[in-house]
Amino acid sequence: MKLHIKPALARDLLVLFALTGWALAIPYFGSEFMVSMALTCLMYAALASSWSLFCGTTRYLSLATAAFFGVGAYTGAILLEQIGWFGAITLGAAVAAAVAVVMGAAVLHLRGTYFAVLTFGMTELIRHAITWWEKQVTGTVGRVLAVVPERDTVYLTVLALAVAAIGVSIMVRRSRFGLAMAGIGADEQRAQTLGVNTRLVKIGGFALTAAFAGAVGAAMSARWTYIDPATVFNPFIGFQTVLIALIGGAATLWGPLIAAVVFSLLAETLRLQAPQVYMMSLGLLLILCVLYLPGGLASLRTATFGQWRDDTSQWWRERTRAGKKGAR
Amino acid sequence: MNGHPLLEARAVTVRFGGLVAVDAVSAAFAPGELVGIIGPNGAGKTTFFNALSGVVEVSSGELFAQGRRLTGASPHRYAHHGIARTFQTPRVFAELSVAANIDFGLQFAGRKRDASWLLKDEASILHLIGLAAQAGLPAGAITPSQQRLLEIGMALATRPRLLLLDEVAAGLTEGEVDQMAQLIRRLRDELDLTVIWIEHAVTTLLNYVERVIVLHQGRKIADGTPAEVVRHAEVVDAYLGDEMVEAP
Repeated sequence: MKLHIKPALARDLLVLFALTGWALAIPYFGSEFMVSMALTCLMYAALASSWSLFCGTTRYLSLATAAFFGVGAYTGAILLEQIGWFGAITLGAAVAAAVAVVMGAAVLHLRGTYFAVLTFGMTELIRHAITWWEKQVTGTVGRVLAVVPERDTVYLTVLALAVAAIGVSIMVRRSRFGLAMAGIGADEQRAQTLGVNTRLVKIGGFALTAAFAGAVGAAMSARWTYIDPATVFNPFIGFQTVLIALIGGAATLWGPLIAAVVFSLLAETLRLQAPQVYMMSLGLLLILCVLYLPGGLASLRTATFGQWRDDTSQWWRERTRAGKKGAR
Repeated sequence: MNGHPLLEARAVTVRFGGLVAVDAVSAAFAPGELVGIIGPNGAGKTTFFNALSGVVEVSSGELFAQGRRLTGASPHRYAHHGIARTFQTPRVFAELSVAANIDFGLQFAGRKRDASWLLKDEASILHLIGLAAQAGLPAGAITPSQQRLLEIGMALATRPRLLLLDEVAAGLTEGEVDQMAQLIRRLRDELDLTVIWIEHAVTTLLNYVERVIVLHQGRKIADGTPAEVVRHAEVVDAYLGDEMVEAP
């Protein structure tokens, strides 16, 4: 076989490499505020990219990101002191993936709204189960992480996870596994009749997504140093991941990353001064994207603006024509 | 061969709620057969196909592929056992190129199956179905009759032993139907495929197949050569009636 790197692959890898370089440099010259913002940015880049990896290609809209994130955060928080940083991250990913396998086996035969609602319901179930456990058994509400790694270790870990999420997406898109998921997204039954074991592929993809969310959760719990079910299972984590992915373009490779940057900037600049404005701009962006840019921000091209201009001028012409008719 | 039929349905019944769509149909298909299935609208032809390819679960009855029990298995297992199908309304992956649509089957069910040289790779399959010139186009952009051919190509890419064709000639012109029939004959002769072909237009089908199964209200009412079937009283009554009697 000839070694043959396709131009698109070379481009993707180059972009990823360059972005990683920039992100690596931030802790050395950036202010505390800037690093914190970059960390949020990377967290959502990792969550949204890994979410799109499965949900964007198969079109199974999962709202369970918060469940995996929280499970990872708790695993990390409980075991960090015994098994170390690397162990905590790995185990956070593994436990989240295991939860995803069980959850996936139960609900991945459903589609559309049913699937979305059930994943959300299961997230709430897990949140309440852990709250109950903490109150009844361990007698606490939250947990304080006493010994945590330095800021830069957390930053570099989340960066590594974000790079891994995009790197894995690049590879999966070119693999049989990626083809199978794309087939499921386009026409699941047709893919089945062509020999795809859709159940296995879906559970595998769901677990892969969950592993990333779990690892990010484990890393972020060390950053936050205090966790309780309400923060780490916050459904908003799941919603925001979905919003970012959809606005950026869940079917694209770079969309989730682009939107994650936009969101984090918006979030950090607006949330403190004007939290309502932040939520409103989120909603507005989503509405505009769904109506005028269904492929997400990543599908924006110079030609798109031309198309909008033509559409608007046509709409204007029809309106004025209708107006004249009405006048007569 | 192990003496078993390629595919065998034993008293296959499919119920949707109270409606019995397929009622205890038994049939065995031998290697290299070219079989037609006919029946009026709602006779259960497509549902029977869905059962034969695992797309619909049978309510009772059994399915065997070369003696192996496949009842209740999911569709990909049928594909891996060499049972391929097309859908009545073409279900191609519209956003992928024509070539990538063929590649899909080769990547999954067709991956580890023995291939005749005619089904060696993407290019040979495209050549076989006559879509080599459209290879680079998105599958959503080709004409409906080309999509029908692509459906067949996608099924062939799974390197099947049995091909289930659901109304592949519907809506085609007379010339196109003839071409389609020749392609199907050729697949059977050169690939030694078993072909089961549903068609609504009976007269077309009877010209090309060697054996006909007639379904009526979910039941099998006749099974034999076209000449035998058209003389079958129940068939004439149920379905062919005027059409056949009036034909010169």
